[in-house]
Amino acid sequence: MWQTFNNAFTGEYVQYGQLFTQLQEVLFGRIFLLIMTIIPCVFLLHYMVIGPKRFAHDGPQVFFFGLVSRIVHWIAAASFSFLVLTGLMVIFAKPLGGGTLIMGGRVVHNASGIIFTISAIPMFFIWLKDMLPTLYDIKWFFIMGGYLSKEKVPVPAGKFNGGQKMWFWLATLGGFVLAYSGYVLWGLQGPVDTIRLMAIIHNFLAAVLVAMFLTHLYMSIFAIAGSLTSMITGYKPKEEVAILHSRYKE
Amino acid sequence: MGRMKFLCDVERCIDCKGCVVACKEGNHIPVGINRRRVITIDSGKPGEKSLSVACMHCSDAPCIAVCPVDCIYQRDDGIVLHDKEACIGCGYCFMACPFGAPQFPAGQVFGARGAMDKCTFCAGGPEKTFSAKEIKLYGQNRIAEGKVPLCAGMCATKSLLAGDGSVVSDVYRERVFKRGSGANAWGRSKAYKE
Repeated sequence: MWQTFNNAFTGEYVQYGQLFTQLQEVLFGRIFLLIMTIIPCVFLLHYMVIGPKRFAHDGPQVFFFGLVSRIVHWIAAASFSFLVLTGLMVIFAKPLGGGTLIMGGRVVHNASGIIFTISAIPMFFIWLKDMLPTLYDIKWFFIMGGYLSKEKVPVPAGKFNGGQKMWFWLATLGGFVLAYSGYVLWGLQGPVDTIRLMAIIHNFLAAVLVAMFLTHLYMSIFAIAGSLTSMITGYKPKEEVAILHSRYKE
Repeated sequence: MGRMKFLCDVERCIDCKGCVVACKEGNHIPVGINRRRVITIDSGKPGEKSLSVACMHCSDAPCIAVCPVDCIYQRDDGIVLHDKEACIGCGYCFMACPFGAPQFPAGQVFGARGAMDKCTFCAGGPEKTFSAKEIKLYGQNRIAEGKVPLCAGMCATKSLLAGDGSVVSDVYRERVFKRGSGANAWGRSKAYKE
């Protein structure tokens, strides 16, 4: 009789319930705190010791990003930024005071999640061909994309380098997993164990994506001076393409 | 100070759901939420048993451990309460709870959840005791009035016991003894006197 009651009452709590409780109690908050402190510090150090890569922007230009891909990129970028901000608001809800502010943040998180998922689908297909992994991507990872030296040596990369490809696959396929787990967490329906598992996946994957997001921000705004313009105008300086995307063919 | 506990005597519970209704009506609980529910096993078969369950007010409660805003807290008498105004409705307490006690009112923008709602052992919340706000957000504060929770107070078969854990245990132990089991099995007191 007690076994039957226990099954109806608590279910298999030890399977994911205990795991989720322990992870949320000690790990998730700390992972995000570490990401939000250590990564910016590392980038600050990189900026001061090695400094940004500078390329002549007044020379010949290469058309790099079509209009559609730029529009799709910025819709995804804006919604993803909101996702990161509001997601971190939930993680660090306590210092922010909790209550209505964070509840509003969760609504924004949901809305931007829907917008991001919609924009990620065309983004996936526009860049799929150029994002397929190649052998020289491994070489790119071994030399860390040449970002550890001040010299301008051509690095092995096609239209996109290994790091960009990693970001692309995590943001699209990982984004899909996040969207689905987020949908389950939003509804809070169905077996509790599924919800717990989704919460664990959502938190871990989000931590990885926040780290990649910070890296993408640093690379596009600081590490390569003026590279942000290429996503606005669509043109990259020929010198930059020759060094950072040496295998790129027009 | 005593340690407040619930205990449901499954030999007595008749699945009338009076506790559920008493709690819901007496505390003006949001639509779609039952702080208490009745689990029935082997329904309609011989050996059917029912158990009335709500928040267990655990020692070392997992909901307190996972809350990202630390809005859930435990009183000295063991009752677990929460601050609805700090709650962000994330649902982590629901995921951490083995008993499915925390629940969320739906029906806001985008189908968003409101603040968590759960059994308060009829002890109100962090607001001023007996204030209108406390009644509106959390329901009655019968513990401050010196009464047992509504559910236990109205239970017709006195199956649901609530109050100081040691007193609850004593009542239950006496019942089990009178009902007969173990050394007090049927007939023994007649056969052996003493």
